[in-house]
Amino acid sequence: MSASVATPGRIRPRRTKNYRLRAWVTEGLCILLGVVLVIWSVLPIYNMIMVAVQPHGDVFTSSTYPVNPTLGAFWQVIDESYWYVEHFWHQYYNSLYMGAMTVFLTLLIASLTSFAVGRMRIRHGWVITNAALLTYVIPATFLSIPFYVIMNDYGMVNNIWAVIASLVTFATPYAIFIFLNYGASIPMELDEAARIDGASPIQVYWRIYLPLMAPAMVAVGTYALLLSWNEFLYQYLLLSSDRSMTVAVALAQFLNSDESPWNIMMATAIIYAMLPVAVYYMFRSKMSAGLTMGGVKG
Amino acid sequence: MDGMQGMQTAPALPQGAGTYTLPQHRRRLWRGGLHGTEYTWAVAFCIPYMAIFLAFVIYPVLYGLWMGHSPALYEQLWEDPIYRMSIVNTIIYLAVGVNVKLFFALLLSGFFMRKQLWVKGLLVIFVLPWAVPALPTFLSIHWMLNSQWGLLDNMLWNWFHIDGPQFLDTSRWLALGSVIVAYIWKWMPFWTVILLAGRMAIPQELYESAEVDGATGIRQFTHVTFPLLANLYLICTLLSTIFTMGDFTTVYFVSGGGPALTTNVLATLGIRDAYTVGQPDVGMAAVMTALPLLIPLVLILMRKMRTAEVQL
Amino acid sequence: MSYLSRRSVLQATVGLAAGGALARPYIANAAATTASAWFTQGFIPEEDAALKQVVANYEKESGNKIDLSIVPFAPLAQKIISAISTGAVPDVMNHDIADAIIIPQNAWHDKLIDLSDISKPYAAEFSSTVNLAAQYWNNVTKKRGYYLAPFKTACIPFHIWGDLVEEAGYKMADAPKTWTAFWDWFKPMQAKLRDKGHRGFYAMGLQITSTGPADGNNMFYGQILAHGGKNFMTSDGKAHFDDPQVKEAVIKSIEFTTSAYKEGYVPPGALSWNDADDNNAFHAKTILMDFDGTISTELAMIHNKKNYDAAVTMGLPLGDAGQPTPAQLGAGGCFMAKGCKNEAVGKDFIKYISQPKVANGYLKAGLGRWLPCMPSIVKNDSWWLSDSDPHRKAYVTEGLLGPSVPFFYVYNPGVAVANAQQVWGQMQANVIRNGTKPQDAAEQGFKQIQTILDQYKIVQS
Repeated sequence: MSASVATPGRIRPRRTKNYRLRAWVTEGLCILLGVVLVIWSVLPIYNMIMVAVQPHGDVFTSSTYPVNPTLGAFWQVIDESYWYVEHFWHQYYNSLYMGAMTVFLTLLIASLTSFAVGRMRIRHGWVITNAALLTYVIPATFLSIPFYVIMNDYGMVNNIWAVIASLVTFATPYAIFIFLNYGASIPMELDEAARIDGASPIQVYWRIYLPLMAPAMVAVGTYALLLSWNEFLYQYLLLSSDRSMTVAVALAQFLNSDESPWNIMMATAIIYAMLPVAVYYMFRSKMSAGLTMGGVKG
Repeated sequence: MDGMQGMQTAPALPQGAGTYTLPQHRRRLWRGGLHGTEYTWAVAFCIPYMAIFLAFVIYPVLYGLWMGHSPALYEQLWEDPIYRMSIVNTIIYLAVGVNVKLFFALLLSGFFMRKQLWVKGLLVIFVLPWAVPALPTFLSIHWMLNSQWGLLDNMLWNWFHIDGPQFLDTSRWLALGSVIVAYIWKWMPFWTVILLAGRMAIPQELYESAEVDGATGIRQFTHVTFPLLANLYLICTLLSTIFTMGDFTTVYFVSGGGPALTTNVLATLGIRDAYTVGQPDVGMAAVMTALPLLIPLVLILMRKMRTAEVQL
Repeated sequence: MSYLSRRSVLQATVGLAAGGALARPYIANAAATTASAWFTQGFIPEEDAALKQVVANYEKESGNKIDLSIVPFAPLAQKIISAISTGAVPDVMNHDIADAIIIPQNAWHDKLIDLSDISKPYAAEFSSTVNLAAQYWNNVTKKRGYYLAPFKTACIPFHIWGDLVEEAGYKMADAPKTWTAFWDWFKPMQAKLRDKGHRGFYAMGLQITSTGPADGNNMFYGQILAHGGKNFMTSDGKAHFDDPQVKEAVIKSIEFTTSAYKEGYVPPGALSWNDADDNNAFHAKTILMDFDGTISTELAMIHNKKNYDAAVTMGLPLGDAGQPTPAQLGAGGCFMAKGCKNEAVGKDFIKYISQPKVANGYLKAGLGRWLPCMPSIVKNDSWWLSDSDPHRKAYVTEGLLGPSVPFFYVYNPGVAVANAQQVWGQMQANVIRNGTKPQDAAEQGFKQIQTILDQYKIVQS
């Protein structure tokens, strides 16, 4: 008598036994799923690490684990002693600069815009939000061709600001939406109260809006950083000299090489990956808070 | 303080996830519009974004439209069998890649709601593919799939003495499949986190009352979770399709468009035509042909986001 | 609502635009006092070091300044193509395969500067092939000119692992002297070496690829020439696809490469190889022999004496009928595009680097990956033909002391366009993947190339 509908509070003794068995089976399946997920997620990363610690030339062997692991490749990158990584630290600095500026500008511009549209409720604010969506009509990749030509015209090729401009352009609409949504859960009364107290809009923005938006800002900031460090095409097209390149472009350069320096390339990639991974893990918890509407505060 | 009464609290309510409308009295407050300096401020706040939009979206789009406007380019494209193949590839890439990825993201988001500590730890590992930058991971996958010394075929040979398949070398479909799997590997964590955030916003009371009514497991999913997530899921699908259409890095680094140019998608073909073959206007025309699909998607997205402010 | 505020909005937007416009000339003008030069990054560090030294010497001697950018191979091609199409060009440009992908089309459209006044004085000393290889047709002025100022040249030798040949039980001295027999000679070694434990080993590094940009085309045209297809295109820029000898050469070439692939003598991934992948396969010792331009394959190993000595460089065997096979010789050097800012200094720098002594010094410092353009240099400077380096000697002999021809794209830019589209690579792929017959693939290839050539009709007045 496994009744599916019952009055509340009724105890169904037969179900208890099955229920425990089902709970075990479910748990077992979950563990199996967990194992599969770990292998799935980690395998390419394991490959990266394996290639990086193998001595040069060993990458072509048929072993599935590194037989003679060595950190030599990492040292070569850190010392800049291999000619492709001669300017590694400068290029790393370029990537950092690009990431930091992208985060800063995206946060600034998106928060200002969403404040004006969502809080001050500027007339015809919908034009802006729709315009933001229009940014995505033509994907970033497609726009790279005219973008490159235009930057050429302005003499901005080989200038990191061209890349920053493109990244901010494509990160901001998404950021605006996150801010609008998150801001919807912040009561308007706070703004109102401040206005009544004589605060100017910029003070409301600075004193009330930004502090309350902190979780969303963290989420968007992390997203913008990861976006810029995940991005490749614009950096590749717009930056070409040793001193102006970012690490992403420098990595692609290895592919031209005749020497198959894959271990050094992967060592470079792993050093490059450490920052985004660290940032993500530092801000993980804030991120999920920022991505929700900020409220199941009932 | 007046205005405190009638303040609405949590906006996330059962009647459609995330529908939020301004309560009556608040609308009245702002209907007068902004006055004087406030208006100037508001406009000033919007200027940075509008400037960026005009300079870096409108201008390149117009320039791109101008570059790709000649019908002769489209004729030339149509005659090229590589172009026709890349349209098919793009459609398959979108239809299979986006949907499989989001479907699993949805299921996994349910899995990650579980309370055990190890599940939370697992989430940390699960997000690694997204956090690690794209280029090295796709290269790593490219090497893993190498049929002479790649990890996968090595594992198959060393452990099972099977001569593994040549993932990327000769078969267009196998290569395309590999690219799609790589794509799902990279982006599924991101969407899982988004859907997970959406799930976490669903109030616990709903589940509890459903449990009382006798719904468990799958029933809970279909009657409580999915209706509330549906809108979010749809928006994720639209957004993901738009993003994926422009995905260059995956195909370029995993299969390189090979074997013999047969796994190119519109994005990689456009770049190839523009820079390798040296005809930027043909490249632009190639990517323009994606517009008939993109524009309706964006219009639907605009509609969806206007009528219901939704969690992203 | 205050229209005052609207006006201020308008003012702000105008201000932004004006600021942008004002900034533009400032950014652009900063470059007017020096000459900018874009050079390809070398394949070995010594090449880059040598270039920087040449630039430093020039700056000291002339007092001019050169803003040098050393850019990797593939991005540089994109940069140059984009720069020329928008007109935002540097003063001096150099790209390893400019002669194949940039100069033919742009000289045709009169986008480049004629450098005959720099190169003509050396014409008598250049090898005749180099002279042909540096002159491109300008369809506006209706004549050929030196749109490339050559100071280096390169050809395509064979690279073979001598030690693996011996391990398979063969002797290099026994290698057949005719083309097809030569290639076939390596085939049985594959099984022998695999038996000795070389897993995943292939005999031939045939670049049967549709990626590129250069190797697939170079390999295939090398095959055509060896099979007697010299008449594919004549120096007047006209194709002779109806010539039965040409047809047969193309069909035989397709048959040879595709059957080698289908029989399993070529790594399956070769269908998507880019220009570096065959070298990588060679260095990984997963292929036995490779037909690839310059001796960069060997030079990349120069610091590993064992490998450097184990590799063998060979010139071209005779054609199957016994006639010598001409080597394809590509010219390398600097070129300039119209619209550059400092034409005078640019030309001066090119003149400097084209001087035989300077060029020779530069090429020697680059370890001889590129050859000089003048046979007299290699005859007078014992470094080039020295017996102490058999690789260099074989390479120099093939390029400058044997029969040679320019690449076909010099005669007509249509071939360059066809190469960019990788027509022959796609035709070979069709045979392999779709089972097209070699004759049909040849016909299709001819048709596709003819369509392109129809846009590039050269009418000599």
